[in-house]
Amino acid sequence: MAKPTELVQGTLDLLILRTLALQPMHGWGIAQRIRQVSKEVLQVNQGALYPALHRLEQQGWIRAQWGESQDNRRAKFYSLTPDGVKYLRQEQAQWKRLSSAIGLVLDMG
Amino acid sequence: MRWYYKLPLRLRSLFRKDRAELDLSDELQFHLQSQIDEYVAQGMDPREARHAAFRSLGGVEQIKEECRDSRRVNLTDSLLQDIRFGLRVLCKSPGFALVAVLTLALGIGANTAIFSLMDQVLLQLLPAKHPEQLVLVAERGTRFGDSWGDNDISYPMYRDFRDGNQVFSGMFCRFPTSISLGYGDRTERVDAELVSGSYFPVLGVTAAIGRTLTSDDDRVPGGHPVAMLSYGFWQSRFSSDPSIVGKQIVTNGYTFTVIGVAQAGFDGVELGYKSKVFIPMMMKPQMTPRSGGPSGGLEDRSLSWVTAFGRLKPDITIAQANSSLRPLMHSILEVEVQEPRLQHYSDYDRAQFLKCTVELLPGSQGWSGLREHMQTPLWVLAALSGTVLLLACANLANLLMARATTREREMAVRLAIGAGRRRIIRLLLVESLLLSAVGTVVGLALAFLADRVLLATYFSADSAGDFPISSVPDVRVLVFALGAMLLTALVFGLAPAIQSSQADVAPALNDRAGSAAGGKQVFLRKLLVAGQIALALLLLIGASLFLRTLANLETTGPGFSTEHLVTFRVDPSLNGYTDERTKDFFRQLTDELQTMPAVSSVGLSGMPILQGYGWSNPVIAEGYVTDPGQEQPATGTEISPNLFKTLGVPVLAGRDITPFETRPVALINESFARMYFAGRNPIGLHIGLVNEQSAAQDVPNLEVVGVVKDMKFKNLRDPAPMQFYLPYAQAVKFRFMTFYLRIRFDPRQVMETVREQVRHLDPNVPVVDLRTIDEQIGLSLNTERLVASLSAVFGALATALAVIGLYGVMAYNVARRRREIGIRVALGALRIDVLWMVMHQVLLLTGVGLAIGGLLAFALSSLIRSQLYGLQPHDPFTYVSAIVVLAAAACVAGFVPSWRAMRVDPVQALRHE
Repeated sequence: MAKPTELVQGTLDLLILRTLALQPMHGWGIAQRIRQVSKEVLQVNQGALYPALHRLEQQGWIRAQWGESQDNRRAKFYSLTPDGVKYLRQEQAQWKRLSSAIGLVLDMG
Repeated sequence: MRWYYKLPLRLRSLFRKDRAELDLSDELQFHLQSQIDEYVAQGMDPREARHAAFRSLGGVEQIKEECRDSRRVNLTDSLLQDIRFGLRVLCKSPGFALVAVLTLALGIGANTAIFSLMDQVLLQLLPAKHPEQLVLVAERGTRFGDSWGDNDISYPMYRDFRDGNQVFSGMFCRFPTSISLGYGDRTERVDAELVSGSYFPVLGVTAAIGRTLTSDDDRVPGGHPVAMLSYGFWQSRFSSDPSIVGKQIVTNGYTFTVIGVAQAGFDGVELGYKSKVFIPMMMKPQMTPRSGGPSGGLEDRSLSWVTAFGRLKPDITIAQANSSLRPLMHSILEVEVQEPRLQHYSDYDRAQFLKCTVELLPGSQGWSGLREHMQTPLWVLAALSGTVLLLACANLANLLMARATTREREMAVRLAIGAGRRRIIRLLLVESLLLSAVGTVVGLALAFLADRVLLATYFSADSAGDFPISSVPDVRVLVFALGAMLLTALVFGLAPAIQSSQADVAPALNDRAGSAAGGKQVFLRKLLVAGQIALALLLLIGASLFLRTLANLETTGPGFSTEHLVTFRVDPSLNGYTDERTKDFFRQLTDELQTMPAVSSVGLSGMPILQGYGWSNPVIAEGYVTDPGQEQPATGTEISPNLFKTLGVPVLAGRDITPFETRPVALINESFARMYFAGRNPIGLHIGLVNEQSAAQDVPNLEVVGVVKDMKFKNLRDPAPMQFYLPYAQAVKFRFMTFYLRIRFDPRQVMETVREQVRHLDPNVPVVDLRTIDEQIGLSLNTERLVASLSAVFGALATALAVIGLYGVMAYNVARRRREIGIRVALGALRIDVLWMVMHQVLLLTGVGLAIGGLLAFALSSLIRSQLYGLQPHDPFTYVSAIVVLAAAACVAGFVPSWRAMRVDPVQALRHE
């Protein structure tokens, strides 16, 4: 496996929120989904995942609920709050702006 | 809204911490299991999968800690942890905790006790609506009349102000007087207040039961036999009778109807005088018969007896009101100067009269003689108790710093595993706060007890056993105690805490306890001790000054012998006696008392001696040309023959009055003779009183038959004023007379017999204020006694604290330097050298402390000049004796560790690391 790319905290938050926009998921599932969708490029640092989830919960962007996983095991599922949806939209727009700006600079000349 | 989610989350985290912890564990457990399952599915060995899963997750505990951090309840969590730990630590060293708590309890308790007194006497406002709008309306200038109090005015003048002013939304006036009140089967004297109808409405004080007095109850003189009771009086005397309204009471022989009970907590507007009954002003002639003429003073412009208050209109300041009232005052004076009583005053006097002005004083606290009297003493006591607390804090700081060395290892370990400096400081401050809290609780109990003792010893209770001030701490006092607790904990805890957090980790862990850090610490502690000695000297000097003041006042005495002297007062006019009958009553009583074998002499005086009551009158003297404006008023009173013989005041020239004077005569005192008859013999010459009685143009008509030695008048401090004495047999106005009896044996045994004699003559005439003169003087010196005794206690406490502090630091120093001493002795130092090594530090510290303290005392003692009597604030004897005492105590305290140092066995010292 390629060495996992270090993810800045803000970026990790964005990825988590986007992943949860589709459906409620537990922490493990979120890490898996990000890995799959990014074609194994983004390996979430599992040590940073849970603190990030708890922080997002404290800030009110996501909320948690205990439920049953696919193998009937007890797991904590996270989902987006309405505020979280708004916040995600904001951050996504911000990211797009940032990355296209960086692209312009890298493509210059 | 976001906070919907945040708040329950935070709360949940706070209260269901254990639940949250389990949840977190479960969550991470799930994650690990899922990862293991994946690895196994990929073909790994289960055990290897387990290891790999743990590795990929990272440090579980760290993740948990980070999650906890993000829950942001750490602060409360760790505070609780700190508190629990602090309690454990303190319980492990009960001796230290006990000493600390006691020291704090004494310090905080003393301050709280004094503050409780200060709060009630100096700070509390009247329980009225918007008390800051109230002002007292007083007159200033030469009025040439009788005055009850410095800030009183006449009733007609109050009326003129009330009706003519533009600046007050309302005015009221009041007059305190004691009445005899009968209800049920008991009659007693109670403190009451005559009030104008506007009193309750303007103050904004309501009735708890029934209704308040209003202007309708204040129209016709003698026409409103109604009264209000104070809440406390209604509870105590009337057993909180809910049907009190409409019941009848007998006041001064008249039947009154109770119309209401005032709101709880209202006792009138004078601190130190708890009014139990409120009576309309128009009833004055009935309440004070024989005083003020037929109208009771309601129409007399020359009698200033009411205290008048006004409530400023919302946008008017005191200064504006003052200037607005000046022209009104002037027009009142223009009218008054036409009165017959002022017609034969000189033009100069009349001009002086017209120059009188009105002065507005802040009235938010009412007016109180008690406050004037106690203001400075209370501030002095507050300063003293504050200093003691400071000393206690210094001692505790020292103590904590000493303990810190024993906990160096613990602190080093904490620092090593990652506790921030702030965290350690917080931990130690929490410990200090715990000590402070327990100390404050105990201190509050001590303060309550102390106040009770102080009140009982130094204040006089009125007839119902009520003190003017309460010993029960109220909310403000509790808040003060809380503030003191926090401040104290900071003051004594911060420095040691900061020092501990700076501990060197490595040496402490290697068990080589602080020799380096110790040096800096010792310097700080020595500084503290020097400061303590300075403060202790300050307090000792203060205590000494106050004690000597008290002794001086007591030995100076009033100018007569106070041994075996009993006094009491009777006022038969309150029972409706006529002037003639009153004279007869006094004559009879005098004769009967004279026949008692225990009584050696009886004398009467109209105005009680040594209370500052006197009727003041400008005087003229034969052969003395008084420059207009130089006329000093003298104070006078009616007396009986034998008064001076009873008191033991020598007649310096001429003779005493006899019962058989044929013409108007008078006695004068030394000061009077010095002023008006300097260089001449006054006997046979005449003096005269300038008033309406001597309608004849200012001819001195009273023959001086004797000159008596000066007696103190108002209190023991002020020199005697000019006084004159007239025979009461020749008096025209009649009120009460104060009896003075010189007793042959122990006065106490005779007091009941005296009461019996009066009762024998007329059982309805009460005997008032029966006591020995020593008691009376003792009461007047009560404030001085209070200050002297408390300052002595504080001085002793301060000395003890300072000396203990010195001992502590020296002992610590010696213990710290044991090895060094051992080496020195082993290398040949003499024991004496070792002794001197420590002792000279003691002397240095003490010397520095005394020097600073002496300078401070020098600078600050001028502030208390007004409280002293018979000595200067910089009295050298006081300073020197205080210095000697403190130096001796310090040297003794410092000698003990020095002695121990001297006896250090070098072998032991070197062996013990």
